[in-house]
Amino acid sequence: MSDSTAELTLSPEAARQRDEVLAQVKPVDVPRPELVTGDRDFHWVTEKICGIPESKTPRWWWIMFLVAASMATFTLFGLTWLVSTGVGVWGLANPVNWGWAIVNFVFWIGIGHAGTLISAILCLLRQKWRVSINRAAEAMTIFAVVCAGLFPLFHVGRVWFAWWLFPLPNSNWIWPQFRSPLEWDVFAVSTYGTVSVLFWYMGLIPDLGTMRDRAMKGGRKLKAMAYGLFAMGWRNSNRHWRNYEMAYLLLAGLSTPLVLSVHTIVSFDFAAANLPGWHTTIFPPYFVAGAIFSGFGMVLTLMLPLRAVYGLHNLITQYHIDCMCKIILATGSMVGYAYSMEFFIAWYGANNFEVFAFVNRAFGQYAWAYWIMVSCNVISPQLFWFKKVRQNTALVWIICGFVNVGMWFERFVITVTSLANDFLPSSWGYYSPTIVDILTFFGTFGLFSTLFLLFVRFLPMMPMGEIKAVMPAADGHGHGSGTQGQGYPAKEGGHH
Amino acid sequence: MSANASTASTSVAASSGGKKDYSMIALIIGVIGIAIALIGLVMDLTHGEGRVGQSWLIAYGFWMAMLIGMLFLTQLTYLFDAGWAVVVRRQWENAFAAFPWMALILVPVVALPFFVSDSSGAIWEWMDPSFVLPGIHATTVGNDALYIAKEKFLNVPFFIVRLVIYFAVFCGLGSLLRKHSIQNDAQPDANNWLACRKISAIGIYLTAFATTFMAFDLFMSLSYHWFSTMYGVWFFAASMRAGLAGTVILCNLAGTKGWLQGFYNKHHNYFLGCLCLAFTVFWAYISFSQYFLIYNANIPEETFWFNIREMNADGSKNSWWWVSMALIFGHFLIPFLVLLFYKTKVIRNRLMGICGWILAFTLLDMYWNILPKQEADDSVLGYYVQQFIPNVWDIAALVGIGGIVIWATLRSAAKHKPIPLNDPRIKESLHAHQ
Repeated sequence: MSDSTAELTLSPEAARQRDEVLAQVKPVDVPRPELVTGDRDFHWVTEKICGIPESKTPRWWWIMFLVAASMATFTLFGLTWLVSTGVGVWGLANPVNWGWAIVNFVFWIGIGHAGTLISAILCLLRQKWRVSINRAAEAMTIFAVVCAGLFPLFHVGRVWFAWWLFPLPNSNWIWPQFRSPLEWDVFAVSTYGTVSVLFWYMGLIPDLGTMRDRAMKGGRKLKAMAYGLFAMGWRNSNRHWRNYEMAYLLLAGLSTPLVLSVHTIVSFDFAAANLPGWHTTIFPPYFVAGAIFSGFGMVLTLMLPLRAVYGLHNLITQYHIDCMCKIILATGSMVGYAYSMEFFIAWYGANNFEVFAFVNRAFGQYAWAYWIMVSCNVISPQLFWFKKVRQNTALVWIICGFVNVGMWFERFVITVTSLANDFLPSSWGYYSPTIVDILTFFGTFGLFSTLFLLFVRFLPMMPMGEIKAVMPAADGHGHGSGTQGQGYPAKEGGHH
Repeated sequence: MSANASTASTSVAASSGGKKDYSMIALIIGVIGIAIALIGLVMDLTHGEGRVGQSWLIAYGFWMAMLIGMLFLTQLTYLFDAGWAVVVRRQWENAFAAFPWMALILVPVVALPFFVSDSSGAIWEWMDPSFVLPGIHATTVGNDALYIAKEKFLNVPFFIVRLVIYFAVFCGLGSLLRKHSIQNDAQPDANNWLACRKISAIGIYLTAFATTFMAFDLFMSLSYHWFSTMYGVWFFAASMRAGLAGTVILCNLAGTKGWLQGFYNKHHNYFLGCLCLAFTVFWAYISFSQYFLIYNANIPEETFWFNIREMNADGSKNSWWWVSMALIFGHFLIPFLVLLFYKTKVIRNRLMGICGWILAFTLLDMYWNILPKQEADDSVLGYYVQQFIPNVWDIAALVGIGGIVIWATLRSAAKHKPIPLNDPRIKESLHAHQ
């Protein structure tokens, strides 16, 4: 069979006809955008990226760090208050027994999805522009999962019994309820967190090697030792790169179904119930699209200021911003498609409870939240149709802020409206968060920012090897543009 | 377009290698098949039970899914600016020539019942207000509370308006994308390509909604009591699989025996094979999620749709249970495992084999979605389930509609250049490598 992998040997007549057609081929000129602009070389890339953690800590970083770390204490305070007092300090009360905690959990876990999409799915789709943003986005994924995990962990009430969630028989020989999607979440999120850390760390290894070598050359032995420990003996050899590439591809292949499964299972938390507004079959892909949407909103929220502060315009170009805006537009529209399907099928299904759930969302006591959701998630991304909007970074940043807000409200609308007005009008209620709810959530932004600032300060925030591979200089085929080559990261550039 | 056709004709006539003969054969087979199915349809409407209309719809769904998949793929590759796909894209553009014919082919199954049997033979039961619904509390459609609730959507005039809109979208997009691409062969201009990108950006929205509501109208409304928000996504997934599998077979045949010799290579197969694998998983994901959420909620107004696809009124397993198992293993597991292997994606015969397999199971998926229905009976629950029994009318409709689709595609291929000569990414596509 192996011979049939070879190309056909054409008959002289077929070859003549082919040549005749090929002679007429004159492609019109639409150049592919450069992924690294400014006619930069490999050395510049290394200096630029390594220069950030190597330089003296800037004052703005300290200010931001102090602000972020102080904010994070609100979460610490809120959780301490919760543990010492009881879950009653949250605003949960019949009929709304799932409030901000689950909303915040889904919000943060969704944010994380962009990192995996960029590092895994866009890798499989060979979208080379991803290389400038994948490292930071993966870091964002991990920090978002950390923030997300806090909420269900503390929602169990007696957090010291959280280990009961694992399938270990406890002292009373009680097993977890395996039929509950919340139990599946334990496995899905912990697997996702683990693989995300592995993927992120593995991608860092070549760059840690470079950081080690540079620290050694600069006589900073302690730093060299620290980076060297985590570089695990990386020597930039051909064999190392081959193994690295294979491992990267395998992890990308593994992460792709994983990232889909995580938010699918998160959607099951709702959709597996029989509650109107929750039980709808489109939830799994709708949640995944929403997660990617919110994740890209957060990526741009973080990367645009970093680009401005560190002068990364040659690495995160307008083309990168365009691509991300278009993904936000596409996924925002998918979310809009899901909203419209839910509404249509609620009517078409001719089930009064289902119709009520949706009409109530749009015109009931939480209508304000519903319309914030629709405006932010469906309407505001439509501005990205316009080139002028995409080219205005301040406006892009503001719209991404709307996306972040809108996606939090989406989870709020789903969770709270269906619970607050369920089957029995006499049990209806109006849910409001307490100050503990609000401050605990507010603090997670501090925790997230603190971790992200530490990442920016101590680790190379872009993968140097991968960026060099998409530069024109790495294109061994002489196509004139690195975007056309499929080469491995340029080994000759590793040590510059 | 005629000017382009004439400029292209010289080289294409030379390079066609007798494909006009194939297109004539396809046309003759198509016309005969359609004629036989039409005869069956009329006979069935006067004496039968509406089974031939279902044959027509199964075949129609199969070929329409393939064309819709190709329309999505064309627009997606424009939006992603995918270099490898340009050589393949011209073949998709050729297939779009079948869209207007598909609009025409839908007419008999919708319109004939109204002329022959006063709507009582329509395969969509909701079209006949006097139809007595099976079940222990038998009632007519006209008195059915659920129908009355949906009447503003499920009525014949609006149904026809919607079908016209869907075909305006499919034919309009297909023809615009073809026009600009073919125009670029004769008059190279980057604006043609940019126009296609813009058309695709808007078109993908229109296609998504047209595909979704076409699935609701043609397939989901067959059991109009049933509903699922996922159903449009299922048809999208099925369309992508059929479109990809059809593309692999078309391109490999044209690449070994026809007009694509020397242009289409194993690297194109690899890319298409990867997409086949991705959409195999996607189809399974969508189908499983739809099943699981309905199974788990266990609400009778939704579960009945799956129940009749598993068991008879007395609870015994029926033939659809075996079809369901065949879909799980044959439409997901086997293609998934086979496509995982690198060699499957680059060895021509293996890839064509698994794509033929996928197409066979796409057809089975259409049977599974369209055919099972409750028929009135004096059993304990007042119905029996129409079983999986393929018949000669199924084959006639499948071959007939397929013949017309293939004829339209080959006829277009004979008129135009084998590849988009001046596309900005054509060289990337000709030299595509994994």
